[in-house]
Amino acid sequence: MSERYLAEPDLGFINEVIGLGGNTLKKCFQCATCSVVCPISPDNKPFPRKEMIAASWGLKDKLVKDVDIWLCHQCGDCSTKCPRGAAPGDVLAAVRSYAIADYATPKAVGKAVNDPKKLPILIAVPAILFAVLSFITVQFGDTMAGIFKSIGLEAIGFPWAHHQEPGVIAHADFYSTWFVDIVFLPLAAFVVLVFALGLRRFINDIHEQAVADGKTTQRKLDYVGLVKGVVAVIPTILKHNKFSECTENKDRSTAHMMVLYSFIGLFVVTNIFFFTLYFLHAPGPYSQLNPVKILANAAGIALVIGSLLMIKNRLARKDQASSYKDWYLLGLVLGLGLSGMLTELTRLAGAEALTYFMYYIHLIFIFNLFAFLPFSKLAHLVYRTVAMGYSNYAGREK
Amino acid sequence: MDKKYGVYICTGCGIGASLDIDALSEVAREEGFPVKTHAFLCGKEGVEFLKAEVGQGINSLAIAACSRRVNFDVFSFDGCLVDRVNLREQVVWSHPRDQFPALTEEEKAEGTKFDRVQMLAEDCIRMSVAKLKQIKLPEPYKLDNFTSDVLVIGGGVTGMAAALDVARAGYKATIVEKSGALGGFAAQMRMQSPVASPYEDLRPPVVADLVKAVEANANITVKTDTVVARIAGQPGDFTVTLKKPGEKHPFDVPYPLPPEMKVDEKGNELTAEQQFEIYKQYNEGKADVLKFDPDGVKFGSVILAAGWRPAKLEGEAFAHLGIGQIPDVVTNAEFEQIAAKGKIVRPSDGKEAKSVVFIQSPGKGEDDGDFSYCGSVTSIATLKQAKYVRDDYSDGKAYIVYQHMRTPGLVENFYKSMQQDPGIFMTKGEVIGVSKNGSSLMVEADNTLLGEKLKIRADMVVLAAGMVPATADDPVVNLAYRQGPGFRDNDIFDKYADSNFICFPYETQRTGVYAAGSIRRAMTIEESMEDAAGAALKAIQCVESSNRGVSVHPRSGDMTFPDFFFQRCTQCKRCTEECPFGALDDDEKGTPKPNPTRCRRCGTCMGACPERIIGFADYNINSIGSMVKAIQVPSEDDYPEPPLRILALVCENDAYPAIDIAGMNRLSFSADVRIIPVRCLGSVNVIWIKDALSQGMDGAILLGCKHGDDYQCHFVKGSELASIRMTKIGDALKSLSLEQERVTQKEVAIDDYLKIPEIINSFVEEIEALGPNPFKGF
Repeated sequence: MSERYLAEPDLGFINEVIGLGGNTLKKCFQCATCSVVCPISPDNKPFPRKEMIAASWGLKDKLVKDVDIWLCHQCGDCSTKCPRGAAPGDVLAAVRSYAIADYATPKAVGKAVNDPKKLPILIAVPAILFAVLSFITVQFGDTMAGIFKSIGLEAIGFPWAHHQEPGVIAHADFYSTWFVDIVFLPLAAFVVLVFALGLRRFINDIHEQAVADGKTTQRKLDYVGLVKGVVAVIPTILKHNKFSECTENKDRSTAHMMVLYSFIGLFVVTNIFFFTLYFLHAPGPYSQLNPVKILANAAGIALVIGSLLMIKNRLARKDQASSYKDWYLLGLVLGLGLSGMLTELTRLAGAEALTYFMYYIHLIFIFNLFAFLPFSKLAHLVYRTVAMGYSNYAGREK
Repeated sequence: MDKKYGVYICTGCGIGASLDIDALSEVAREEGFPVKTHAFLCGKEGVEFLKAEVGQGINSLAIAACSRRVNFDVFSFDGCLVDRVNLREQVVWSHPRDQFPALTEEEKAEGTKFDRVQMLAEDCIRMSVAKLKQIKLPEPYKLDNFTSDVLVIGGGVTGMAAALDVARAGYKATIVEKSGALGGFAAQMRMQSPVASPYEDLRPPVVADLVKAVEANANITVKTDTVVARIAGQPGDFTVTLKKPGEKHPFDVPYPLPPEMKVDEKGNELTAEQQFEIYKQYNEGKADVLKFDPDGVKFGSVILAAGWRPAKLEGEAFAHLGIGQIPDVVTNAEFEQIAAKGKIVRPSDGKEAKSVVFIQSPGKGEDDGDFSYCGSVTSIATLKQAKYVRDDYSDGKAYIVYQHMRTPGLVENFYKSMQQDPGIFMTKGEVIGVSKNGSSLMVEADNTLLGEKLKIRADMVVLAAGMVPATADDPVVNLAYRQGPGFRDNDIFDKYADSNFICFPYETQRTGVYAAGSIRRAMTIEESMEDAAGAALKAIQCVESSNRGVSVHPRSGDMTFPDFFFQRCTQCKRCTEECPFGALDDDEKGTPKPNPTRCRRCGTCMGACPERIIGFADYNINSIGSMVKAIQVPSEDDYPEPPLRILALVCENDAYPAIDIAGMNRLSFSADVRIIPVRCLGSVNVIWIKDALSQGMDGAILLGCKHGDDYQCHFVKGSELASIRMTKIGDALKSLSLEQERVTQKEVAIDDYLKIPEIINSFVEEIEALGPNPFKGF
């Protein structure tokens, strides 16, 4: 090995990891049972034994840059088998949470997402924004239509109003589709930017650390190779292969898969309807028999069931630490699914005021999920995928 | 006493079913002993029957039933000699009839065959009868002067706790402390490690309370600035000379001559008188051991609680750790003193030490050994001191680099709670070096749990120096014994005060001197106090036993003691030199002076004496010799193919019970072996073996305890001495033109009962291969 490592424990980091659900990190006495029982840990420098001592020593840099924390799927096998009552799975989850906040900018947002006291603000921001925009939609529809007409947008096929005919409840009457996209398109760009900035550091860090730890044969980082690695692991992710290797938490795999696929479904649906609206000029609501609509409904139902199952699993597991970051995300996903389904059902039931209200709630959930994606636990979607891709590229497979 | 004999054969437990009881009775009758049988001797009726016999004047009973190791309380009659004939475990249970069939009527009539088991039982009766004729009822040895006061050497936690325990039990104790005040090292400590759940908080030291209690106790005398110049005499009547440390005193203890001074230039041993002259020069200005200090203080027993001192870490072996060169590298003892003064600060500049590295082993290559004399106590002390750092500074960091972290028993919880502290960082690792790094220090370690070579920045470095027992520097007890002032075997215990610490933790090789606390192994304060209680009880047992004239240990309550027939003593000094307990002090001519209360009654002197002038009332050369002679040795005159006869002298502490257990498990072995229990193989006199072989017996086997550095001998040296004597017997055998292999010694532990058949039978096979003793029939 190369140079002597200067160990400089960070007490603040230790306390933060404890706060994020890793409160057992100090219990480890390094027997390595965890690394032995882990079904998905590689044979060369297996985790999570070394992560546990790095955590208990407060070696922040080592851990945040550690690709292995992302290879962990928190099966819980290690936590169950730990003779000392430490829960390596929970500690790694807490460290991941810390790492997500660390790679995301601005840091203040990351902090707020992990802090229950800041939740009212996270809700208030979209609530006020959407209230204002909805007020404009309802009160100043004609004015807006006039503006669209005067600047010639309507002439090229983009009128203000996106609704079919009077008498049909359309959420666009309550909250303009234009406003939806004016908010969410820049937000999407912001999310992509935050991830891009984070990923640039992340990829360099994990590579540097992997080289230092002797976990890879690749000396120089080759981005094409990395992308190939990511592509190569996509089927693994979609099939939840790693997840199903777990014994303790196998049942989580189904729920997780339901939620993942429903998000994919909803992502596809949203894009199709975006295209339909702006380029085919066919605004909703669409027929329930429309295949896209069927996909949307199926995904919505899967999202609700999947998130309910996840909540049930988490409640049933007394030995697994559940912290605010977990409940925030689960609440968000369930809320998103439920509010979406209720918006649709109330619309079909013809309860106009109610369906508008549900839509408003739904928008707030979407905003939270979307805007804070790079800051919340959900960011694992990106980091874990990249880490697994890197691991594939670096030859760090089991 | 006028002996009135009676032989009582129990026919229960399968004895009657297996043996011809009439024939057996006839054997005793031939010797002129009345015989009675009973179906259930240890039952209520049986005991009543025996009591009635005693009531009719029988006072020497041979009880032919079960082993002496059981029902000893049942078959105990005041003023009577009782010998137990082990027909059950060692005859019928270990020789079942399906393997050792009885003779049929025709075979009996024919007369060429014989019943081995019946022969064995009959020999057992003969031996008992012979023995009863030779032994006497013991009378206790009474000291002329007696004191029950207890001397406690060392005024630390152990010494004070022991003195308090002695005083609470109603005896007087005197503490001698070499420093100016009571308290020992514990008085210099900031805190003590936790002892109770949840093992999280340190406790204030108990020393102050102990000092207060000691000073308030009227039964305790404290002498500070005092050491022991010598302890002379014997338990119950020690004469102790006390002095100021460093002072020269006419009653300073003399040292025995080193071996090289006992010989002349040619290597020939000097005469006793010559040796004594050189000895006097060697110990110029010191009174001889046999001279008692008229101003000495009398004590009954001694508790040795001289404790430990911090190890000095000096020299090349520790140079890489910076100790001695870098002022901020200190030992754990020095760190404790810094901590006791207030917040942890650096010795170099008095600045706060917020980052402290605790090093548990010297590291750098070769092995993963800790510092010498390290153990669980130093581990616990390190955890405690790490907590000082955390208690003093909320942002403090304490690092522990260890090769071993030992927190036995529930103290593990202390380790766990310290581990939970966010500011404590532990790793196994090999320390490479400590160096200066600007105003701070840098500690480098390899092979750490972090998987790489590590360096840690520190304000201070603490080395876990060990706890060196006081006996490493000095005998401390300064016994005015001919064998020397200290314990002879401290070297095999790494200089810890000798004690047989698995079986008899407080016993040293000197009766009446009981070691406690960190002088016998490193202990925490709590362990030391508990240990002190044990030693205090032993010290009291010793004075009480000495007062009653009985042995203290391990033959507790034994009233016999060695009796010397001095007219025939040749002053060979073997007994003085071989006694494992230094009980004998010879005078200038070499005549032994017995100190009966120092004696443990093992009989090693009896085994050593070439003149055979040493014996006990109920155990002596004649009692065993007559048993050997009582064994019938059939020859070709008796049977066409006579059976072998092999003598087994068996240590009664381990080997004899092992044979009993073999019998209880119905493990069988040759019926041609005659078993005689002995107090210790050290008491075996070679005359018994010579007698056995010259009367035609075919071999002799000695079964005793393991000897060597990890000996299991209850009398420390007995089995070892026996093995030396057995090698010497070879020459004597040669002069009889007998093979040396006819005599052997085997080690048997009490749990070796499964090996008993193999040990005995393989020896019998060896003898069979050699053929019968040519002296048979003479």
